[in-house]
Order: sequence, then C-alpha cells, then structure tokens
Amino acid sequence: MKRLLPGWKKAVRLALVVSVLFGLYALTLARHDERARIREQPVTLTPGCADKLARYGLEAGPRYISPYVLARTEQANTRQGYSDEDVRAIQRGCNIIDDLQGQLAADPARERWNATRFVRGTHSSCDHCHQGIGDKQTAAGVPQTGSLSLAASWVMADMYDQFTGILLPYELRQMQCYINSSNGYKPNVADDLIRDVTAYSRFLAAALDLRFGNRYAEQGIDEVTASQTAKRGDDYVRGAALFKERCARCHGPQGLGTVVDGKVLFPAVAGPNAFNLQSRNNFSFVSTILPGFICRNMPPGEEGTLSNQDCRDIGFYVSNLPRPAGDKQGPLAALWQQLMMRVMPPLIHTVETWQRPGEPAGSGT
Amino acid sequence: MNVKAAVFSWVPPRVGALGNELLIGLTLAIVVLPQAIAFSTTLAGLPSYVGLYCAIWGVLFTALLNPSRVFHGGPNSTLSAVVGVTLLPVAPQFGPDYIGYALTLFLLAGLIQLVFLAVQPLGRVLDFVSEPVANGMICGIGLYMIFKSFPAFAGLPINTQVEWRLWIAWQSFLAVLEIGNMHAIHIGLITLLVTVVTRQFDRFRNWAILLGIVAGTLYSEFLNARLGLGETLIEQTANVSTGFVYPSVPLFAQEAMPDIISIIPGAVTLALLGLFQTVAAMRRMNRRSGQFVDARHGIFADALSNCVLPFISALPTCASFNRMSLMHAMNTGSRLAAVSSALFLLALVSFFGDFIAIIPVPAMAAIIMVVGANMIDWSDIRAHFQHRPEAIVFSASFLSVHLFGLFGAVICGSLLALAYAKWEKAHPNVSLERNVLRIRGNIYYGSLPVIESLYHRANSDARFDELVVDFSAVHHIDPEGIRWLAEVGKNHKVRFADRRSGQDRRAAAGEAPADRKRKDRRRRRTL
Repeated sequence: MKRLLPGWKKAVRLALVVSVLFGLYALTLARHDERARIREQPVTLTPGCADKLARYGLEAGPRYISPYVLARTEQANTRQGYSDEDVRAIQRGCNIIDDLQGQLAADPARERWNATRFVRGTHSSCDHCHQGIGDKQTAAGVPQTGSLSLAASWVMADMYDQFTGILLPYELRQMQCYINSSNGYKPNVADDLIRDVTAYSRFLAAALDLRFGNRYAEQGIDEVTASQTAKRGDDYVRGAALFKERCARCHGPQGLGTVVDGKVLFPAVAGPNAFNLQSRNNFSFVSTILPGFICRNMPPGEEGTLSNQDCRDIGFYVSNLPRPAGDKQGPLAALWQQLMMRVMPPLIHTVETWQRPGEPAGSGT
Repeated sequence: MNVKAAVFSWVPPRVGALGNELLIGLTLAIVVLPQAIAFSTTLAGLPSYVGLYCAIWGVLFTALLNPSRVFHGGPNSTLSAVVGVTLLPVAPQFGPDYIGYALTLFLLAGLIQLVFLAVQPLGRVLDFVSEPVANGMICGIGLYMIFKSFPAFAGLPINTQVEWRLWIAWQSFLAVLEIGNMHAIHIGLITLLVTVVTRQFDRFRNWAILLGIVAGTLYSEFLNARLGLGETLIEQTANVSTGFVYPSVPLFAQEAMPDIISIIPGAVTLALLGLFQTVAAMRRMNRRSGQFVDARHGIFADALSNCVLPFISALPTCASFNRMSLMHAMNTGSRLAAVSSALFLLALVSFFGDFIAIIPVPAMAAIIMVVGANMIDWSDIRAHFQHRPEAIVFSASFLSVHLFGLFGAVICGSLLALAYAKWEKAHPNVSLERNVLRIRGNIYYGSLPVIESLYHRANSDARFDELVVDFSAVHHIDPEGIRWLAEVGKNHKVRFADRRSGQDRRAAAGEAPADRKRKDRRRRRTL
C-alpha cells in the first residue's frame, strides 16, 4: 500500500494538470464561438457613423463606387466591392472611432471588442483627436489640412516612425494611441479591435480615393513650431490666462473635462482621464503637436481664432497640469503623478475659493 | 587557481567506458537541441541558429576550459529570458538591429564576467546573492516564461509592451482564449500533453521534451498536408543549417550608444545570473559527485567563452542544472561526454537541418511552458516558507521580477537579504537566567542596544549581588563591543565568563602588528 501511494499522488497530479488543460481548452472554444457570433451579428451604428457611412455609400456588393468621388470629379471610380463580413467590420471600426468607450452601445464590451480593457480612464475616444470620426472636413467638404485623417494615415501604411525611426505597420501605429494618448495598454496586433479600425481606415481611403504611398495634406497634424510664432518663447502664465478665458468653460477650470449623466461632453485634458506624460500630445515631450491641434480644432465653432503663439502657450500650460505618467517612466514617476493628480486639484480649488470667497467656486471638477 | 593545469588535466575515460561517454554525449545533444531552438526563438527573440551555436560552441568551449567532468554549458532558459526582457524596448525582435544589440549585450556580459574573475572580492559577492533571492528570481522567471509563451502558443504576435508585465500576461491569456489560432492551440496542447504525460515515467523523463516536439511536429505536418500552410498559418522554425560557424560582430555604432547604455543593467543581470547559476550548479555537483572543482574554474570558463561567443552568433553560456543532473545520473566519467555532445549536435544540425526547420513554433512555446513550470520547484519554495525572513526575501524577489524587472529583482532581493542578515546580527540571542546574562551571536554596534537594555535591567536587579556576563557563544566582537565590555568590566558587580579560552589573547600577543593582522582577517571575512 505504501509503495502505491507515490504512484497515486502522481496520477492525481497528472489528472489535475490534464483536466485544467482541457478546461481551458473548453473555455477557449466557448470564447472563440462567442467572438464568431459577434462578428456575424448586424451592427448598430452610432448616429455619426450612420451618417458618414451612408454618405460614402457603404453597402455589400461586387463593386464599390464612391459617391463622394463621383460628386467631386464626376467620374465613377470603380473598386472591388465589400462582402457582408467586410461591411460589418467597417461599421464596427467606425463605431470604435466614434465611441470607443461604448457610451452609445447597448452592450459596450461586446459591441466594442472590450476596448475599455485597453484604455485607462473613462473619457478617451479616438474621435477626440481624430475628429470627424477620423475624417474631418471643411465646410466645403474638403478634408481638413493636418486633421489626423485615418484614411491618409492608412495609405502611408508601413511608415517609418518619425520619432523612433522604426518601420511601423498601420496596426502597430495604432498602439501609440492606446498606450499614451489613452494612457492604456496595447491590444494584441491580431485583435479584432485593431482589425476593424484598420478595415474602417481602408474604407475611408477608398471612399476619398486616396492612393497608396502618397502624402496628403490631411495626414498627421499641422504642427506649430516655435519659429511660426512671434518668438517670444512659450509663456506659461499667458497660457494659464488664455486657458481660463477660452478653454475652461468646456474643459473645466482645471482641465478635468465635463461629464453630464455619465456621457463625456468635453474630454479631460488633465488628470487621470487625460493623455499621459509620454503621449506626443504632451508639450514637454513633443512641443509642436498639441499647439497644432489646438490651432486647427479649438475652440469648436471658433476655429482659427487663436494665434500660433496662443496655441503654444495654451499647450505649454495644459501639459503642465497633473496627468498620469507614461508607461516607460517606471513605478516611482507613476506614483508621484498619482499623488499630484489626487492632491493638486482639491488644493487649488481650496486656495482659489479661499482667496475670493464672494465669487462662485470656479475650480474643481 | 592554476588555469593551465586545470584546463589540461584530462581524466581519461575508463577502459570500456568510452562507449558510455559517447552515449551520454548523444543523449545530451538530443536533449539540448529543442531547448536551444526554443530558448533562442521564443524567449530571446533571436533566430534559432543563435541558440544552436551556443549549444555547440558554448558547450565545447566550457568543456575544454572547465576541468569539472560533470559540467554542461550551453543555452540557458533564464539567460535567454533576460535577453528578451532587456532588448524588447530597444528594437523589433528578429531584426538585424536586434541581433546586433543582442551580440553587444552578450559581449558586455562576458566582459563583466571577466571583471568578476579578475577582481577577487567581486567574485565573492556572488556568495551574497542568497538562496532565497536566487530561487525567488528563478521562480519568477519561470512564471514569466509561461506568461511570455502564451501568444506563441496560440500563434499570435508577441505583445512587445515593456511595462505592466502582469497585466500584459493577463491580456495575452485572454487573447489566447478569444482570438488564438485554433490550429496552433491544438499543436501546442498536443505537445504539452505528450510532454507532461511522458515525464511521469522515469524511463522517458529525459526524452519527454523530444517526444512532445515530435508529436507536435507530426500533427502540424498532418494539418499542413490536409489543409495547407496557407490555411493553418502555423509558424515554423526557420532553416537552421548555416554551416559550422556564423561569424558576427556586435553593434557598436555611435548612434546606437544611448540604447547600448540603456542595456547595461541588463548586461550586469545577465552576467550575474550566468555566473551565479554556474557557481551554484558546480557546488551542487561537487557535493554529489565527490570530485571537487573550485567554482572559479567555472567563472573562468564562462567568462572567456562568453567573450568569444558573440563573435560567432551564439547565445551566452552558463551551467545547466537539468543537463548536469542527467550527466550525473548517467555516470559521466570524463569531459569527453560534454565535448562529444557538442560534436554530435553539430552533426545533427548539419545533416538533419531540414527536419528541424519544420518544428512548429506553438510546440516550442509549449516546451517553454513546461521548462518554466519546472523552474518553480515546490520543494525549494516549501523550505523557504518554513522561516519567515527567508519567506519574505523569497516573495520579494519573486514579486519584484514581475514588478520591477530582473535587474530590479537582483537589487531588491540582495538588499533584502543583506538587511535580513544585518537584522539577525542586530538581534543576538540574549537571555537572562537569574543572575547570568548569556549572549549568543555578535556583540557589535548594531546589537549593543539590545544587549545593553537587558544588561541594565539585570544590573538594577537588587536581588543579586553578582552579575555573570557569559559570552562564550559570541563569535564576533567589534571595537565598540570591546569598549562596552571594558566599561562593563569596571562594574564590580560583574564577572565575565568566557569559556573559549582562559587567557586574554590581546595581553599575551601584546604587539600592534598582530592586532592589525586580525583586523585584516576580519575585514576579509566581512567582504
């Protein structure tokens, strides 16, 4: 009996390992099935996407002729059409760009491929930077210069990264957005989240008739360098004043954003829901991108009213508000930034209300 | 250390044992082959030939330079994992830049090992990486290897994000469940099951990995024949036959300098972990085999080999516990076994390269999982958890692998181990029985506060006229302790009891040089 015992133990251990493996295998089968089912379900479009995709005439068929190109050039540009599966992928991609957090979705996790898993904070959506659902156009219906167009980005598909010099395919370039602009994590390159956004970007390129390898004005951002200003240097104090005057009414006095009924009306530009320190939006990291974005797109409805110097000053001020640390800055920097994000807003709020007790409290969230 | 004598001291195999040595060599070659490919491709992110050349030339060099007859160098799972972790942020894996940086990393590690060989006190530093620290790291790395192989197991691209490792591991696991390639998962599962099941039988234990890979490869070939590679999308190990040597030059371009500087901590970790494993493996084998070989011979062989290997496209080498146990179990009598294993492997790679090239990557990932799980040794862990400070040091270095990276784990674990040793020394076992104050441990500046408080309590006890201070079991007294004892000696109530010697040695020796000599010895001991 004693001699049998070690053998038994071994057998039980082996059985345990094997059953765990088979359990995981069964779970894998179930999750794969669920994924496949979601891919086949019809997609509920957000209002913005329904409008945009209808305008670009997306439907399944053997050929695709872009109504946009037809209207502008009066020439039918015939391309290979889309299958039902392609159409659903493009629709889901559009939904992801328009509403990454799934605020308009009935079941956010299922309809957005668990996108919030890869994003920290509750504000960020692709559409905040890639405005116009990745395809911002002027009133005349022309793609806006330097508007971070996804279509123009797709046709630069395998581009050398401007900052690291690494050859980055389009799928990998999306990672930057998740890690730093959304202060989150990388999805796997093969994840449906990435594939659907890629499908949508490809469709946009086809709809706008953008050609591979060409450089278009709407690609990237219209950067504002120091040499494009009066060369007074970037002024933090002036930036603070301008921010109070022009930006604070939407983004809040401390840049923490505006949320009404759980819906993000204006995203945070500081604090835990904002881009992190290593994002290229951060003025201290790359000083030309955030001013460029502000000059082109802000404030909504009054675009172009800020001078280059104003944009740089505001960018300088905004980037110095407390925000999360970047993913490569290590645990100590992360801890310090967490502390700043927790302590500074209430402190500033207290000091400001204490200095002017008569005025209504302007600071805080 | 007489290097020349050691290197050329060959124990000729016993008459009739030559066959046995060659058999051991062949066994080792077959055992090391899948490990070499798996470690280099799945862990280090390097082409398979880099691991194979390490298993050929690394083994050969260390066998020629190290007089131990039970020594097998070659690719090592921990070192390969360190390579992957260190270079992940520097360049994309498998690319020419990555390979260049990797060779630079290996050369730096080799040079650091040479420094450890040349500066003796540094070599002694290795002894201060205590067992719980090393085991905690090895367990942490084992777990890391399992996590790391999730994507390859399911035929997915590897997530190259550097920070938040545990989160990445969890995400990779979910990715396997949700979007993994089912064909790849099947191949991986078959390999895993065959390996795990055959390992249970003592006769097949050493062949389990090979059998697992054969099973996985056969199934992959079956799938390819039925569905075609375009349908299954199974990644395979690339062509491995590139000749006897593949000369290479580490990358030292000026524009690469910032990155090279950033990988120096990784190089230090690589060097230390390699040396530590070699020294620990040699000590263990000394105990088992009865042949005593100074561990410095191992450091010498490793350091020298690792300075040469980067120039012939090979991973750094260090001792392998499992292969050395296999050698010992098969009664190796001379270094011929290790030498012949290198030559057998060279022949295998040269003649059967085409068969090695079809091994599917998911099968390799499954093997890495088994190897990683084996690195988590429950008997070691249980031993550490019987002693609370050891358990803390072990857990801290285990966790810090996942939180701060490998270099952080070395620093964190060593600091904790040192802190623990200091804490132990600072809390000598002091007991007061009636009027006898017994001190065991050290009397030094750190422990004096503890001793003094008890001494004062005893001294102020009015019941006794005499207080005996017994320091027979004290093994170290520092100058401050001596001064305290001198002060205590002035108290007429106190009598000393030191049973070690009846005389005051200082009074007998009397001269200054003797004193200095003793001090020197003490300093050396603390080093």
